[in-house]
Amino acid sequence: MKTKKSPWPRVALYLFVFVMCVVILYPYFVMFTTAAKSNDEMYATGGSLLPSVWQWSNFIDIWREAPVFKYLLNSIIVAGGATFLAIACGIPAAYALSRMRFKGKGIFMGAVIMSQMFSPVVLLVGIYRLMTAMHMTNSLIGLVLLNAAFNQAFAIWLLRGTFTSISSEMEQAAKIDGCGTVQALIRVLLPVSAPGIVTTLIFVFINSWNEYTIALTLISSDLLKPITVGINVFYGFNFIKWQYLFATSIFATIPVVILFLCIEKHLVAGLTSGGVKG
Amino acid sequence: MKENAKPRTLNMRRLEPYVWLLPSILLMGVMILVPIISVFQTSFSEISKSGVNRGFNGVTNYLWVFQNATFWNTLLNTVIWTIVVVGLSTILGIILGLVLNEKFHGRKIVRAIVVFPWATALIIQSVIWKYIINADYGALNALLYKLGIIKSYVNWTATPGQFFAWECFVGILVTIPFVTFCVLSGLQSIDTSLYEAADVDGASFWDRLFKVTLPLLMPSLTVSTVLNIIYVFNSFPIIWTISKGDPADKTHTLVTYLYKLSFTNQRVGEAAAVSVIGFLILAACASVYMVMTLRAEKEEE
Amino acid sequence: MRSFYRKRAALLKKIEEEKNMKKALALLLSMVMVLSLAACGGGGGGGKTSLNVIISQYGNYTQEWWNQFEKDFEAANDTVDLNIEIVSWNDIYSVVSTRIQSKQQPDILNISGFADYVADDLLMKAEDYTSPDVKSKIIPSFWESNAIDGTVWALPILASCRSLFCNMDLLSEAGITAPPTTWDEVLTACEAVKAKHGDSVVPWGLDISTDEGQAAFSYYSWNFGGGYLDASGNWALNSAENVKAVEYIKQLIDSGYCNSAPYTDTRYPLQDAFSAGTLAMMIGPMNMVSADSTVNYQSVNIPGKGVGLGVCDQLMVFKKDDVKDQDARTAAIRAFFDFFYNCERYSDYMVYEGFLPATSDSSDYLASNAEKHKVGGSDATGDSEYFKTFCAQLPTCQFYPMSMAKWMDVRNGVIEVEQQVCQGSISAQEALDNLQASITG
Repeated sequence: MKTKKSPWPRVALYLFVFVMCVVILYPYFVMFTTAAKSNDEMYATGGSLLPSVWQWSNFIDIWREAPVFKYLLNSIIVAGGATFLAIACGIPAAYALSRMRFKGKGIFMGAVIMSQMFSPVVLLVGIYRLMTAMHMTNSLIGLVLLNAAFNQAFAIWLLRGTFTSISSEMEQAAKIDGCGTVQALIRVLLPVSAPGIVTTLIFVFINSWNEYTIALTLISSDLLKPITVGINVFYGFNFIKWQYLFATSIFATIPVVILFLCIEKHLVAGLTSGGVKG
Repeated sequence: MKENAKPRTLNMRRLEPYVWLLPSILLMGVMILVPIISVFQTSFSEISKSGVNRGFNGVTNYLWVFQNATFWNTLLNTVIWTIVVVGLSTILGIILGLVLNEKFHGRKIVRAIVVFPWATALIIQSVIWKYIINADYGALNALLYKLGIIKSYVNWTATPGQFFAWECFVGILVTIPFVTFCVLSGLQSIDTSLYEAADVDGASFWDRLFKVTLPLLMPSLTVSTVLNIIYVFNSFPIIWTISKGDPADKTHTLVTYLYKLSFTNQRVGEAAAVSVIGFLILAACASVYMVMTLRAEKEEE
Repeated sequence: MRSFYRKRAALLKKIEEEKNMKKALALLLSMVMVLSLAACGGGGGGGKTSLNVIISQYGNYTQEWWNQFEKDFEAANDTVDLNIEIVSWNDIYSVVSTRIQSKQQPDILNISGFADYVADDLLMKAEDYTSPDVKSKIIPSFWESNAIDGTVWALPILASCRSLFCNMDLLSEAGITAPPTTWDEVLTACEAVKAKHGDSVVPWGLDISTDEGQAAFSYYSWNFGGGYLDASGNWALNSAENVKAVEYIKQLIDSGYCNSAPYTDTRYPLQDAFSAGTLAMMIGPMNMVSADSTVNYQSVNIPGKGVGLGVCDQLMVFKKDDVKDQDARTAAIRAFFDFFYNCERYSDYMVYEGFLPATSDSSDYLASNAEKHKVGGSDATGDSEYFKTFCAQLPTCQFYPMSMAKWMDVRNGVIEVEQQVCQGSISAQEALDNLQASITG
């Protein structure tokens, strides 16, 4: 494909990639080796790179020390629910924005971007008050709604880009064949937009999976905590159980990495359609 | 129903787009707008230490904030933090994206590796790095010592500046994947015939990069940068986990500062004022972007 | 294109389209409705008095003890619906502040500090819900320590006292045979440890973080002869003794005797390092050395004046005017405290968490019966000797001036002073003068 050029830029770039990979992987190496250390070894100065004794029991102990499985399940429910809701609300909005003309379109787009300007941390008190009024302070449904809302802008932006990049001719043809708008959307547009939808799905899922501050403030029962908040039990009044903290972190990371790796191809394809048209 | 079918249809037609937007508007309106309104209200109210609202107090909170030296230092930090993190992660992300677009052995593995920081909760990444850079029992000193690179332990966080630099480093590291993937997707849409044409013209590596690739990447980069600015500006867990804004409140950004004001110093009204100020700053930046895109869209139509 | 779409589609499929759209919208809307309704359901138990309690997380197993407590209490009091929530110290102030701002304060709260709540008239008087039996059990000095102008607003949940811990092996290897008793001896000992052990041991543990930097201020200022208040009970933060104390902290850091990041290191990693034998000396609570540690240590008075820091967290009750049956609520609260301060149950909790009791009957009981109770999360039992020793030490301790209205400001202020001075951006005298001016001004 590319015929002749100096080899040096290439070598430099590969070196760069190698260094990046080392830097990126290093914390995971630390996380893994630390998770397998005994408590005393943790604080040994002149410390060891690898555990002198691999304490595999740490990986088993965490399930007994705290309801880690429940935490993971809660995270899945919250992230899954928020993703579904954000996309279910985002699709019609993105469709209207890409296929219809109407007054206030610019204002709406502006409002969508504005809604991202406040981080949830800033709004904590307001959010808590609202959730109290809705009787959702200690509920996963509250978290689902909030995460969906705070990811709505991103979902709309990505989906709108996807829809805009797809010609509307197919839908029109379908309509002439007797489909309604909704049917044309579902049968024609959505299948073609699959990569964009998958991308949106991943983004929202990850953002919700990683959300910390809202869950921290809203959820009071131990058994309703998502994993990001749940691992706080290893960070207590008189102790920090680094090895448990890290062992649990590994279990919290693996599902997302797997999800990512499965969908990575779609991700790039989806960003293309979403990204080109802002 | 049948009698007034005609006017209804007409109404429906005009209302249709809004009906499509309704679920989204409902969701965001209730879940985001209501809290925003309450933050604005709070910023003009006197809130007691324990959290009781004592009513309207004008711009007192804002005056308090503006008279506070820490606020100005924090504002400067926030600007540095946003520019450094967004800037460097964009540059590094572009390079990484360009490399990953080439075909080489192990490309799939590298792409998988790049995903990692993205897939890990920020709070977890922050905790690990806090542990790594601890000078007394942290992993980095142990590693460098074992490798013989350092003779005695280095205190990585002796000054606020060093703390802040580490925080920027972690910020950059976790932001790179997003940029990389935006670049990768942008690259896919570039027509390879453009490169062939450039080769025929005898273009150098740098010519190809600056005259073909980067200009064509601009649309996806603009969007990723705008989103990154918003996310990084509002980023909380990294700084809060690693330094909590200390030593002596010198490593705050607006978000951690207002969190500390609100929950450690129990100055909720003042904290709300800080968040409104942060909002206004972001809104000003965003309106520039909005004006630009709206103009571009008008030209398109 | 769009005009084409409009004409054709509008003409041909107007009606069907509308139907479909309505269907889709109805679906979406109903989904949102169902979600919100589902969340609104629940709540409102019939006829029971419900009590929401927030307990601070003292240990790894706090949750388990209170789960059992909840079960036992509800079994014994079937008209009360008790909800106990354990919140970590990291988050408790944010959680409580958010709840109060949303008018969702708990009924009973376990936290450190109550003056701000009193200032806002949020608390019930302790006399209103404390049974004579409980009142008679609480050690009088603790009962009075929660009073503002003679009115008691909170009950002591547990106590601890802080003293100096020395790793005797590390010290004797460095040629120091006895724990330091003066501040100069501390410097000598640190220098010796540093010279002998180099990087592998931190001589002196210091925590001036936002978490608990006021504790460090107390250790040093009290034992240099200063403190928070003057003899007549007014704030005296910029006394000459306090200036000396803060300068001494800076000297410890500048000489390289301390852990590397005292601004962000909390006490907990330091304690763990001490238990692992990589930290030679630090000031900490009596239960700071982990149970499985093999370190040979001594715990002695803090150098200088030998004043220990006593910490006594509180349980307090919030007013709830919207509750219809106030009498039932008060009765439930009284029952809660009767149940909690029951000698055996309360003693069990003290052994479980390793803290000191604030009641006289439990102090007496634990001096010889601690072995009957288990330490949280392990099979180890309590040590009567431990309770005997430290309960006797408690009366010599000083406490934070928590009943002062500006205590929280002072607390945050002294942490800021420590950090600013140790960073070298301002002199100790100037920083303390500024603080004194902002507190009394």
